Amino acid sequence: MLRWGGTVARVVLAVVFAVAGWSKVSDLAGSGRAVAAYRLMPFDVAKVVGAALPFVELMLALLLLAGLATRLAAGVAAGLLVVYVVAIASVWARGLSIDCGCFGVGGDLPPGAHPNYFWDIVRDLALLALAVFLFFTPRTRFAVDNYVLGVA
Amino acid sequence: MSSRVKTKQANRVVREQLAREQRRRRTIIVSIAAAALLVIAGLVGWAVYANQAPPANYAVPAHASGDRTGIVASSGPVTVDFYLDFLCPNCKRFEGDTSSTMDDLVAKKGITLVYHPIAILDASTNPPGYSTVAGAASGCAADAGKFPEYLKALYAKQPAEGSAGLTDDQLVQIGVDIGLTDASFAQCVRDHRYSAWMAHNTDTAASKGIHATPTVLVNGKEISPTANDLLRAVG
Repeated sequence: MLRWGGTVARVVLAVVFAVAGWSKVSDLAGSGRAVAAYRLMPFDVAKVVGAALPFVELMLALLLLAGLATRLAAGVAAGLLVVYVVAIASVWARGLSIDCGCFGVGGDLPPGAHPNYFWDIVRDLALLALAVFLFFTPRTRFAVDNYVLGVA
Repeated sequence: MSSRVKTKQANRVVREQLAREQRRRRTIIVSIAAAALLVIAGLVGWAVYANQAPPANYAVPAHASGDRTGIVASSGPVTVDFYLDFLCPNCKRFEGDTSSTMDDLVAKKGITLVYHPIAILDASTNPPGYSTVAGAASGCAADAGKFPEYLKALYAKQPAEGSAGLTDDQLVQIGVDIGLTDASFAQCVRDHRYSAWMAHNTDTAASKGIHATPTVLVNGKEISPTANDLLRAVG
């Protein structure tokens, strides 16, 4: 049962990271601006982070989907999600009004538009729970790990 | 227990230990390989982005400001910077609401009005990129000295977010309608001659912490984009 649960967790995380990465990959400059809108780092650093992040998310989605190095992938996914949650919480705490840029777009919201921080954080925490579960039970059904690492 | 059974048990323990050891070693190797893949993916992203950076010798329209990011439409003691995206509905609203106030301030030589077309909504048309194409076309209108007129005409025909945007032909026709009948204007629009300039504008604005449109600065200080606040700030 646990192993099937792990498979589901893997696929859900893979799909979310794939969609997140894919939505940003066609506009890397925009992705950098979305990172800059958090006002957590200098613009030049934000540009590099924004350009690298979509590709890392896509590669992570591939690893999770294949079930290769599942524990490491789950750990990286959990780490990223913790960073996202902290970043969104910090924006919220500072009273900024931005789009999280989680799935493309990003930047400041127009006056009168309400940010979605609460649900962004709820979503990321739910995904974080899946990633942590997967980290502690990394051996799952239909995973490449079962072939390359040997039978657990 | 006979010694033979003991030996068998001991053998099994050793075998299991060896198998565990092998699994551990393989796990480490696979994990390192996967970590390397993630790092490489990040570097690829960085490289792709670096390759997309505008060339150093990009074309800049006439009447551009000193840092080449805006179009200077008038001169006066107070500087008003207006950051806009041609797809942004609130920019259209701001332009409409403040049009007569701006014209008045410009006519009285009260302000140096600098328009900064930027492209932050490129992803909001399908296919993406209307903000850049329209901004590039506005640079062509600046060459002909008709930037403000063209801006108003573009906003009058603003496409909806999520639509395909306007075609090159439509961008040319909008120019023709306000008297930009010269063939060089049409050619400039169709060439997307100033799209690299748009990338430069957008990048420069973001580096100054401008993450939304419309953003209006009066002598470098951001004001809320309304006609009242504009008048109050200009004084």
